[in-house]
Amino acid sequence: MSGVGARVLRREDDRHLRGRGQFVADLHLPGQQEVAFLRSPVAHGLIRHLAAPDDARDRVFAQADLGGLKPIVARSTLPGYRDSEWHALAPGRVRFVGEPVAMAVAPDRAEAEDLVERIALEIEEWPALVTAAQALAADAPRLHDGWPDNRFVSLRYEKDFERHAAAAPVVVRRQVRLSRQAIVPLEGKAVLATWDERAGQLVVHTATQVPHMIRSGLAETLGLDEHAIRVIAPDVGGGFGYKLILQPEELCVAWLALTRRRPFRYVEDRREHLTAGANTRQHAYDLTAHADEEGRILALDAHVTVDGGAYSNWPFTAGIEPGQATGNLPGPYAIRGYRCRTECVATNKPAFLPYRGVARTGVCFAIELLVDAVARAVGRDPVDVRRDNLVPPAAMPFENVAGKRYDGGDYPGSLERAREAVGFDAIRARQAAGEADGRRIGVGFATYTEQTAHGAKVFGAWGLPIVPGYEQAVARITPDGALELRVGLQSHGQGLETTLAQIAHEELGLPLERIRVIHGDTGETPFSTGTYASRAIVWAGGAVAEACRALKPRLVAIGAHLMQAAVAETRLDRGRIVAPLAEASIREVAFAWYRDPTRLPPDVDPRGLEAVGGYRPATDTGTFSYATHAAVVAVDPDLGAVEILDYVVVEDCGRRINPMVVDGQTYGGTVQGLGSALFEESAYSADGQPLASTFADYLLPGAADVPAIRILHMETPSPHTTYGARGVGEGGAIAPPAAIFNAVNDAIHPLGAVVGETPLTPRRLLAALAEARLDR
Amino acid sequence: MSDAALDVNGRTVAADAPPRRHLGDWLREDLRLTGLHLGCEHGVCGACTVEIDGAPARACIAFPAALAGARIRTIEAFDDDAVMASLRRAFSEEHALQCGFCTPGMLIAARDAVLRAPGPDEAWIRREMAGNLCRCTGYVGIVRAIVRVVTERQETGLALPPSPPTAPATIRVRRSFVPREAADPAPPAPAGGAVPRDMAPRDMAPRDMATRDMATRDMAPRDMATSDATGWSRVEAHFIVARQPDATWAALADFPLLARCFPGATLTGHGADRVTGEVEVGLGPIRATFRGAATVERDEGLRTGVVSGAGQDGRSASRTRAEIAYRLTPDGPDGTRVDLDVAYRLTGPLAQFSRAGIVRSLARALVADFARRLNAELAGRDGTAPPSRPASAIRRALARLVPRRRRR
Amino acid sequence: MKAAAFQYERPGDLPQAIALLAREGAKALGGGQSLGPMLNLRLARPALLVGLTHLDPLRSIADLGHAWRIGAAVTHARLEDERLAGAEMLAAVASDIAYRSIRTRGTIGGSLVHADPAADWPLALATLDAVVEIEGPSGRRRCPAETFMQAAFTVDLAADEIVTAVEVPKTTPDAAWSAFKFCRKQGDFAQASAAILLDPDRRAARVFCGALDGPPRPLPGIARRLAEGLALPGDTVERELGRLVPDLDPIALRMHAAAIRRAADRLGRSA
Repeated sequence: MSGVGARVLRREDDRHLRGRGQFVADLHLPGQQEVAFLRSPVAHGLIRHLAAPDDARDRVFAQADLGGLKPIVARSTLPGYRDSEWHALAPGRVRFVGEPVAMAVAPDRAEAEDLVERIALEIEEWPALVTAAQALAADAPRLHDGWPDNRFVSLRYEKDFERHAAAAPVVVRRQVRLSRQAIVPLEGKAVLATWDERAGQLVVHTATQVPHMIRSGLAETLGLDEHAIRVIAPDVGGGFGYKLILQPEELCVAWLALTRRRPFRYVEDRREHLTAGANTRQHAYDLTAHADEEGRILALDAHVTVDGGAYSNWPFTAGIEPGQATGNLPGPYAIRGYRCRTECVATNKPAFLPYRGVARTGVCFAIELLVDAVARAVGRDPVDVRRDNLVPPAAMPFENVAGKRYDGGDYPGSLERAREAVGFDAIRARQAAGEADGRRIGVGFATYTEQTAHGAKVFGAWGLPIVPGYEQAVARITPDGALELRVGLQSHGQGLETTLAQIAHEELGLPLERIRVIHGDTGETPFSTGTYASRAIVWAGGAVAEACRALKPRLVAIGAHLMQAAVAETRLDRGRIVAPLAEASIREVAFAWYRDPTRLPPDVDPRGLEAVGGYRPATDTGTFSYATHAAVVAVDPDLGAVEILDYVVVEDCGRRINPMVVDGQTYGGTVQGLGSALFEESAYSADGQPLASTFADYLLPGAADVPAIRILHMETPSPHTTYGARGVGEGGAIAPPAAIFNAVNDAIHPLGAVVGETPLTPRRLLAALAEARLDR
Repeated sequence: MSDAALDVNGRTVAADAPPRRHLGDWLREDLRLTGLHLGCEHGVCGACTVEIDGAPARACIAFPAALAGARIRTIEAFDDDAVMASLRRAFSEEHALQCGFCTPGMLIAARDAVLRAPGPDEAWIRREMAGNLCRCTGYVGIVRAIVRVVTERQETGLALPPSPPTAPATIRVRRSFVPREAADPAPPAPAGGAVPRDMAPRDMAPRDMATRDMATRDMAPRDMATSDATGWSRVEAHFIVARQPDATWAALADFPLLARCFPGATLTGHGADRVTGEVEVGLGPIRATFRGAATVERDEGLRTGVVSGAGQDGRSASRTRAEIAYRLTPDGPDGTRVDLDVAYRLTGPLAQFSRAGIVRSLARALVADFARRLNAELAGRDGTAPPSRPASAIRRALARLVPRRRRR
Repeated sequence: MKAAAFQYERPGDLPQAIALLAREGAKALGGGQSLGPMLNLRLARPALLVGLTHLDPLRSIADLGHAWRIGAAVTHARLEDERLAGAEMLAAVASDIAYRSIRTRGTIGGSLVHADPAADWPLALATLDAVVEIEGPSGRRRCPAETFMQAAFTVDLAADEIVTAVEVPKTTPDAAWSAFKFCRKQGDFAQASAAILLDPDRRAARVFCGALDGPPRPLPGIARRLAEGLALPGDTVERELGRLVPDLDPIALRMHAAAIRRAADRLGRSA
């Protein structure tokens, strides 16, 4: 059993377990020079003076030196959208602490940093727009020239709102916020670029999830034909969205290699990541639910503010967060009327990037805290009100008020199973009894849907400069009868080297050890927009299946001829070509095709044993995974500590290609979500200085800080995808802040306290409790 | 260069790299042992964990130059190790790795945990593995894999007999007693008579931003209570000088004297109302030298003054600005009370930490030290008043190394 | 994030080490677990690092009968593993410092001299009434741990002095002690901490509060109450702490008071 649905151990593991992985920083090219960046120490200002030391003018570069390099401009077709020009090195104005201003090269990084310290920099400091509120003030300076205000984009959506709101007797308003954080893959950004004289190519080894898109971006900004660039993503140490975009540093290193014709390397360090990469999650919500007396939400009114940072990233733009927030806010609920105004505001902080869950961690947090608030307002248990609001299975497929087409599943069923799994009734009894140690117990739920594997229609609507349309895979039987699969996306922990091989095995029957998956290299693979949006297994999996299926009749035709059997009576079965009286191996067929063509049938398909499979799911509006997360917490009202006593995920991602990998994605995503809920925060001083520049300030959850998460599965195959798979990469990270906060609020609401801003630090919790005491 | 030699994976290697090259870089770049990874370079993430003299340690904050004679073992040298073989198998079977970046360090820490584990106790294992961050797996597979190996080793008799219970976390009270009388300390009174206290921001800090941060309204990060909306922090203090106000007033116009009193200050030039110089500030091992200029405005009638200064630490590109307002009032017949209101602002790498309270403590310590030295200087004089300076209020444009913040 | 250039010297003995430390820009290197990150971040930029941990007098643990003399270069891990009788708090505290792979290198003397207010040893050693042994150009002197730390990252130690050992008095069999710290996550610096020693035979009652902006603060009133077996109501702790440490904002006050009460709870002594 190693096909679709099997718990196959990963083929990626061995090299990592032996310390033989090949991450960018593990590569070494003779003569490589290291690059270090001088970064703006202030959040907003104008460079007045910038000068290299006299003895190092040829080793220090500013924007003026980067002849021919265009700025990064992420154009969006969203109405009213405003572009920003993001130069690889700031040409004059600096817009966030950490923005690259100059770069220095030296034989090793320490020496490059020595050189950076000797660059003279004077910046005229301007008032910083540190918060969205500051940036939206009428008299705020404009962050980008020519902008009428500091909004990247404003979106409005309204459907049947007034009618349903007017009919609702209960009105509940809730304001919640998520703090800024960093994405923090354990490997930061890393680039090693060189010039390949023989190929006439700029070869860029870079830690990216999207090698083909990076090639397009490099080509556009460097002014090269794409064929003159090869982008290779070797082993990549986690991405989570951070490695989806064209980075200024990547551009600088590519420019150096192109113009100096020798290898240059830049490896982002942790301080750079935590300061210049403090770039995600920061949303503020002002929600009003219009509900009936049972707590059924009839209409939802929302104002969402995304703190977009200084620039629009390429290619996902500053439009994707507001677009996703607006479209996903109604969540898994059968809300009838909806009105939403969403703004993405430019501030003096790093450019907002799409992090695992993209906006949905925020919308889930907002809507789930609102559902609990509605329940309290009508005097019912949140779990009951939540159940009553969920789209019932009988209503599937269901088009929600934001136009999302939910393609099956039992949302209330997932809630019910989570409720049972945590022992809900026992918890309520325990709460009534109280705790001997003075702590307070709470239980909270969060249910969400996750649009996964969506295509052109959805990304097109978000106005991106690159929109995924179709996915291709190449399947090649090698002369010795093994199989090479080529896919243009990148696997960096998702286990695609294993799971795509499982799919090929499912189709062709070749043993896994005879199947190799080649990915992450524009020189080796067909175009793909890459690995993001929980799309890999659906899209690349579908393309691999198609490519393998294209090979089948060709294998059978040659095999039948070799066995002197009729094609109609011959079939591929478990890796062998089986005729009524004989069997041939794929190796024998391959031998004939590659090395002994005299034995081929006269009408043989001249395309041979290499096939391109193309794929698009039956609908490109996405297939929806969903889950309910349940958290049981103990809150210490003196210390402000929150201990997670139990955490249960009940998830449905359709057919699981490899259940072990699905669990791994879910565990990992969930702990990242717990990080957002309780630990991770890129705090800023009032003048825009980032205050979390090390892991002593920016806390990540460790093994002792999180519980042994329990996962329960439901399996509703998607009607739209190969094998019925739904995407699963991001989901885990969506619900934990909502579940944790609902649990904490469940624990502290008898004290009159409520929390609604991530992360839930002891200080925030104690402040909420103190405020409640004052109110009494 | 250092001529220390180390044993690396059984091979003697001269540590001939510059002393500043940390063990992680030395192993990766010089010896091409790239199994260990660098995830933070400040000792927290654990991706660089290797064995030093048989114990797990961070390679990123160890220096080969200081490790003469040490035995280093990296992930590349465990292929003959039975515990590591079990762990590798268990890691794969329990899906304890995804991207693989943390895995080599994780395995070295896990092997140490297996050898020390009192049993397959999940809570103990989670605690012991807290120093190795993984961003992919949520730790579930990692913990299961270690539990599995510990269990296997116990079942096959490979493990040491269960070690005695871990050291007690506490010893409970057995009987009451009357302690030796200890003086009940008064609330702290800093040396030099200064009584600094933190205050709400005052109006003199630039008011470019009237709007408050919606997102940080109730966030109250640790120790940020006295930072105002423009990033200025503030300390108020007073101290008593054992001289009459006239003499004290004169002393406060004597820049060389003030420079001698201010810890770490060196004067490079001074006019009537402007000084240039540098201030070296130290906090533990941290040293920064802020070079810059300050202007002084004094009102003799009111006996008040404001010193405004700005400086930059050339190496870290950190900058500071400070405005010190002072007011003199008589304190008894022979003394002067000096009230100080210090507003300061720090930007750049030295500012980028969450422990502003410590910086504020430093500011208060500097004030106290200044007061002590000023008193000592004045006490050392033989009663004659220092030469007086023009004392009318002066307000002039000033040239600074760091251009003045625009006021809009 | 690479350290600025520095020189490294490995002195042959203490006098050599003291002479080296007298040089301009010299800094002692212990286990390097606090200094290492500051070097890499270029926050610390010594011209010269003087290695100390190889010096024999700094590496030994000696039983003085009434006390343990612990060499300054003894690692946290060794104290965790050796569990010195009569100083059990040392093992308990050591085992909760950062992570094992930090504890194997970090030293008790280094941590004490570094004097991070959130660190464990300044609090524990003040509570245990330990004495710091210091060697300098003019010989040896001793300083109570309670006054050794003067402010954040500031200790009573000249540039050319070296902490050689700490002497920790042994507790008597009826002694009670506890140490509590509250961290946002395992291994993180403490948000609030407290330690208590009640030793009836020595009539010693010591309570200290740590993780402040400066050195740990003694709380003698609370110590007396605990020794006499009196109840320790929550508002008593807050009032006493607020009086002695007036800088604390209301939230910090609540958190630190809770840490003291938790430490007391562990003794079986609180409200």
